[in-house]
Amino acid sequence: MLRVEEHKSPQHNLSCEKFLNPQRLYLPLSQHTGRPSQACVKPQDIAECAQVIALEDGHISARLHAPKKIKIISIDDWYHPILKKAKCIIAEPIETEEHKFIPREKIGAIGKEALLQIIRDSGIVGMGGAAFPTHVKLRPPKKIETLIINGCECEPYLASDYRLMVEKLDEIFKGIEIICKIIEPREVIFVVEDNKTEARKKLHLAFSLKKYKLPNFSLEILKTAYPQGGEKQLIYSTKKSKVPSGGLPLDVGCIVHNVATCFAIYEAVYFDKPLIERLVTFAGDALVSPKNVWVKIGTPLNELFDKGVLQFKTEPKKIICGGPMMGIALDNLNYPVLKGTGGFLFLSKDYLLGEEGPCIRCGSCVRECPMSLMPTLIDLASRNENWEQALIYGSADCIECGICSYVCPTNRRLVQSIKQAKIKTLK
Amino acid sequence: MNKLTVSYSPHLHTNQSCAKIMWSVFASLLPAGIAAIFIFGAAALWVILLGVISALVTEGLLQYFNKKKITLSDGSAALTGLLLSYNLPANSPWWLVVIGSFFSVFIGKQIFGGLGQNIFNPALVGRVFLMTCWPKYMTNFMKPLDAGINFFKSFNYDAVTAATPLMMAKEGKAVIDISYWDLFLGKHGGCLGEVCILALLAGALFLLLKKYISWHIPIIYIATVGVFSWIFGSKGLFSGDFLFSILSGGLILGAFFMATDYVTSPLTRKGQAIFAAGCGILTVVIRLWGGYPEGVSYAILMMNAATPIIDRYTKNRIFGR
Ligand code: SF4
Ligand code: SF4
Repeated sequence: MLRVEEHKSPQHNLSCEKFLNPQRLYLPLSQHTGRPSQACVKPQDIAECAQVIALEDGHISARLHAPKKIKIISIDDWYHPILKKAKCIIAEPIETEEHKFIPREKIGAIGKEALLQIIRDSGIVGMGGAAFPTHVKLRPPKKIETLIINGCECEPYLASDYRLMVEKLDEIFKGIEIICKIIEPREVIFVVEDNKTEARKKLHLAFSLKKYKLPNFSLEILKTAYPQGGEKQLIYSTKKSKVPSGGLPLDVGCIVHNVATCFAIYEAVYFDKPLIERLVTFAGDALVSPKNVWVKIGTPLNELFDKGVLQFKTEPKKIICGGPMMGIALDNLNYPVLKGTGGFLFLSKDYLLGEEGPCIRCGSCVRECPMSLMPTLIDLASRNENWEQALIYGSADCIECGICSYVCPTNRRLVQSIKQAKIKTLK
Repeated sequence: MNKLTVSYSPHLHTNQSCAKIMWSVFASLLPAGIAAIFIFGAAALWVILLGVISALVTEGLLQYFNKKKITLSDGSAALTGLLLSYNLPANSPWWLVVIGSFFSVFIGKQIFGGLGQNIFNPALVGRVFLMTCWPKYMTNFMKPLDAGINFFKSFNYDAVTAATPLMMAKEGKAVIDISYWDLFLGKHGGCLGEVCILALLAGALFLLLKKYISWHIPIIYIATVGVFSWIFGSKGLFSGDFLFSILSGGLILGAFFMATDYVTSPLTRKGQAIFAAGCGILTVVIRLWGGYPEGVSYAILMMNAATPIIDRYTKNRIFGR
């Protein structure tokens, strides 16, 4: 793992704002790992705020809710950051006022199964990026020893998890309590990196006050490094155990949940509020000022500019959905915020300017790869379409963290060809 | 909005570049070159300049005629030329330098497909070629100057010559009247860039601190040579003068600046350790029992050839396997 330039200021110190009144909403049916959900509304329908508009399809899937009171315009292909174009419920909010969610009563009395049901019904997915349906993750086939709460947010620029920890720590802890009730772990480890100054202070305070009922609760401050927020790396950093190749965290008795997911669970259980909003960091040097904003899921980027929430300082050269290491470059502003998007970046120059040169075998990629692969050799094999060779050097285990391309002095686009090999070898 | 760049992640990059690395290595070698000029006079300067310039011209012309992108600014050709000149006697005739540089860049590098594709260290390919064709010129070492005499004489083949310490040792001279200190400073015959250990170490330290090279190859290489020279001493087992073996010949230059060449050494640290130990053993074997007094170049070239195999057997253990 490596220390990459953080670019976290000033986002880290900016209080969250809200933008909850977009004119259009674009809600892709596929916002999670697994099968896309199935729309259960049709054009011209009116849906109340928080009403289900698409149901899960099969086990690994998640439902979708109306972020406001909306009128469905159409169900059509629309821009999707990951899939480029995908089926999407396009809707128009018909009420500007915010829906009031009423606190649920007797939360302590709700049983395990009922809690799981609430989480499933709220359409919660992992909000750290992979967007795996949370209710599936909370019903592990094996006994979970360790619950790890991921507050690392190791991608440069992004600050939404950090702001959430600073501003909503109490709520996050209540979410963790619920997870504990469901999976009954032996211990809970809350992990943050040492660059999360203010969150650390608050966490230490919460820890010393022993306010929350968590089994064997401990706080772990890790040295900032990328990609420490990756599940396998995080488990290794905290527990020193390696998730077997091709395996899952639960193979070593661990489960990792992101802080934003914990917050979403809290809202679902305490207020019966489904996942319809999230905190997003908008940053990059092409903006007048970066911001952390609560937005409705489905809000397209251009609305934020039209409504003056964000302003360009200079013409952007590159727009990225996600962080700079793993994020996806976008070609226009029509893309909507998804459940798993922690940030959007607007850069005035392309930081990966250099032309690609030949590999000079400096070994940097080999030394820095967090999965201990041989990136340059996978790359070579992949370019020669020698997929077996690529597999030998580890293509199947690549987590696409981007470190190899990041360190390469001759600007080899390693991740790209490694991913190619990964796709070919998975089949 | 004008056109947005849509490229694959990551969208950040370190500010490291090939040119930066190559020119840093180039710069780190300069102290040794300056030392050579002090020791051997202006002749050394001309050899160095000619070596670098002919390497650049060769690379430029080859790329031009092959319609490839001209990449002289990446520093790799200049570095090859510099290293070749460091492997020549200061009193080399001019044509020897030009042929050596040309051969290094052409056969050593471009034939294989250019930067990153070559199997052997280009400068050493050039040196060994010259050794084979013109051994007389390659083993005719100029004696260090006495304070300023002949300083400005260039391509001074008729200079007063001196055997290198290793040659003397090979001939079985019982007492070699040269102090460790003189070996360290470079006041003896030898290739122009290899003699001044002090200057080489200064450059090496810079590279280590800047993390352009790691200690693995040079230290293991040098240590192996030291240990084996000590074990197989001329006066019986465990009697060798290991300090002499380390300080004489091209070991320091080879270990820090040529065995560490990225392109021709293994990728992993484990592989590098094996590579370095192999270089060390081969160097001692050639020095003690081979036909030449010096074995660094051949040892490194042989291990270069072994690098693909070493790479294959020392690949990283994948996380979680
Ligand atoms: S090979 Fe994959 S896991 Fe390794 S550094 Fe590159 S992107 Fe990351
Ligand atoms: S970092 Fe780039 S130049 Fe270095 S070994 Fe990897 S691919 Fe080759």
